[in-house]
Amino acid sequence: MLGALNPAAGTRYTLSAGQATTRTVTYLDTVDWRLRRKGLVLRHERATSEAGTLRLDGTGDAVSATLPSPVAWPARIEHLPDGELRDGLADAMWVRAVAPVAKGRLVTREAAVLNEDGKIVVRLDWAELTGSEPVRTEPLVRVTVRPLLGYRRDAERVTRALRDSEGFEPAEDTLYQALLAAVGSTAEAIARPAISADMPADVAVATALLGFADTIVDNVDGVVDDVDTEFLHDLRVAVRRSRSLIKLAGDVLPERLVARHAPGFKWLGDVTTPTRDLDVYLLELEELAAGLVAGERQDLEPFAEHLDRERRKARRALVRALRSQRFTRLLDGWRSGLAGIAEREESEKDSERGLAARELVAGRLRRMVKKVTRRAQAITPDSPSEDVHDLRKRCKELRYLLEFAKPLCDESAFRAALKDLKKLQDILGDFQDGEVQSAALRVFAERMQEDPSRPPAATLLAMGELSARFVTLQRQARHDLTAALERFLGPDTQVRSEALLP
Amino acid sequence: MRIVASYNVKGGVGKTTAAVNLAYLSAREGRRTLLWDLDPQGAATFLFRVKPRVKGGGGRLVRRERPIGAALKATDFTGLDLLPADVTYRNLDLDLAGAHGRSTKASRALGRLLGELADDYDVVFLDTPPSLSLVSENALRASDVVLVPIIPTVLALRTYDQLAEFVDGFDGRRPRLHAFFSMADRRKSLHREIIASLPGERDGISPTAVPALSQVEQMAVHRAPLPVYAPDSPATRAYHSLWTELAGLAGA
Ligand SMILES: Nc1ncnc2c1ncn2[C@@H]1O[C@H](COP(=O)(O)OP(=O)(O)OP(=O)(O)O)[C@@H](O)[C@H]1O
Ligand SMILES: [Mg+2]
Repeated sequence: MLGALNPAAGTRYTLSAGQATTRTVTYLDTVDWRLRRKGLVLRHERATSEAGTLRLDGTGDAVSATLPSPVAWPARIEHLPDGELRDGLADAMWVRAVAPVAKGRLVTREAAVLNEDGKIVVRLDWAELTGSEPVRTEPLVRVTVRPLLGYRRDAERVTRALRDSEGFEPAEDTLYQALLAAVGSTAEAIARPAISADMPADVAVATALLGFADTIVDNVDGVVDDVDTEFLHDLRVAVRRSRSLIKLAGDVLPERLVARHAPGFKWLGDVTTPTRDLDVYLLELEELAAGLVAGERQDLEPFAEHLDRERRKARRALVRALRSQRFTRLLDGWRSGLAGIAEREESEKDSERGLAARELVAGRLRRMVKKVTRRAQAITPDSPSEDVHDLRKRCKELRYLLEFAKPLCDESAFRAALKDLKKLQDILGDFQDGEVQSAALRVFAERMQEDPSRPPAATLLAMGELSARFVTLQRQARHDLTAALERFLGPDTQVRSEALLP
Repeated sequence: MRIVASYNVKGGVGKTTAAVNLAYLSAREGRRTLLWDLDPQGAATFLFRVKPRVKGGGGRLVRRERPIGAALKATDFTGLDLLPADVTYRNLDLDLAGAHGRSTKASRALGRLLGELADDYDVVFLDTPPSLSLVSENALRASDVVLVPIIPTVLALRTYDQLAEFVDGFDGRRPRLHAFFSMADRRKSLHREIIASLPGERDGISPTAVPALSQVEQMAVHRAPLPVYAPDSPATRAYHSLWTELAGLAGA
């Protein structure tokens, strides 16, 4: 190190090196780079065999937490030790787990620059990081010049000398960023090309569907390993998007391809539902328990245990399904079929005189808006629940269709239309949640009753209280729906959806 | 921010040695510490290997023509900064009087000047020149505690009493005096007697005595605080005890 730093000393100064420390450093982030997007850097440092220290940068002052025992990665927020660091991470991590994104060996060493009186006038921090995972890298070196109070000139002189020397130049990134670049890890997922207005309609639909299929496949490992609940959620959203698009625009694809695979996506939706429902309950349970009025928080513990057992059972079936031949064949066949369309030669595309994406989107969107409008108009305060549910499903389809059409829409018109739709969807969602959840509680209670270890009465009472809350939620939503529909069907919304159409 | 002056009207009694070592120990305990070398001879400045120079000189500092912060120098020790001596400090008396006339303001100017740094430091040590001057009066008035090194002799005690009387005459805030025996020589019976009896008889006299050792003199050779190169010296231990007493007294 001293040799490399010699230019800093020149003829005026002498260098004196301090003790070097070596640590293993593991940088962590969620699979969707939530920390990075918020400007946070989380790293685990370990000197020897101890559990090590977690350090979080980017929240203002850096915070660290010494681990009492080793943490197994991936880890969710509840697996990290209580304290300031965890508080600083909670919002950014949300329900997601952090896992190693890169690992390396970090050697740090301080060097002092002394003047002719033997006085330290500048301090230099030497940091050398050699990546080891996911791949080996060359040592990456950063030298930080730390000016001392009253010795600015010397710091400037040393900085200049380092810059003018062969080996050093001003760093534009942090060691972490350099490491990510060196291991070839990018924070941006490799996205499929966006659809465009002139694309043939079938190419556009196939491209979008391929994107969803990628998402499904990308999330399988996280679901199987139960890293966090978002893997399953993202997988399911991609399944729903696929199903909606197949339903609304699948007719532009070869009939055989659709006929062979569409039922598979229904199956995939069904097989993932029980686990997701239980996930939602478990995620909400703490908040629900906190809201109990008559019951106590701990009354719900047997319920939580029941959910946990049920979830384990449901997950076993789910994992079996995701590892089955049926799943593999479904995705492989679907993807290769779609790829054949999406990656068709340019010349073939040109020679075609079929429908363009622009026309497809315009036609389908218009039809879908009309459909939703008609259903919405038909809803009165006395309409049966089924009609409301039906409206909710159509709204969801419209939403997915909008998202598919997004690259072809005027941006501000798109945002305005989405906002209108979202407001309505929120209320419809509450209506659905209230109903489904109160019904599910009934089923859970019955099942728990059948279990040999019967739940305490207090538990059932607390569950009853929750059930009542959900019923209230549904009533409230039903009540709010009238005004929301009025707004949605008002002239503003109509104007907006017209502006949207390409 | 607590202010401690190391003061004795007599020269060569260990004022600078105490200020340097105690400031070092204060910083090592995590307190943001400043040492102001008010002696134009610049002994403390020399011990920290800093050049004895303040841009614009003491006059500009006192007249507030230059911010005090611009003159500060980091020492080699984390948390310990130095306001160096400068030859112009010889005229500091005149500068103080010149800036504030004959009013009582002239004797409180240093304290007010230090107020600028109140947020930046927890403890400030003032190393004073051996004299009874406007500068030393300023230092005494600015301080929470005045540390007084005394050599265990009867005459030295008289000067301590005179100091106590002088400080007693201050209106308003008075610093606490804290005397300790400096350069105590156990081979001298008079030293032994005074050290054994006095702290019990008089207020403000520490039972801690810093032994006379050549290791202490070596500070000028090492140009470093004593604990840095002689952590186990009995004198280092004595400064440790002194610092504990001082921190308690100053509430730092
Ligand atoms: N405990 C000690 N044992 C031996 N020598 C000491 C001891 N304390 C101080 N000295 C030495 O005595 C001399 C005077 O000490 P110091 O400079 O601290 O006194 P001072 O009161 O600041 O002097 P001045 O009045 O000149 O500023 C120095 O050479 C110093 O090294
Ligand atoms: Mg002195």
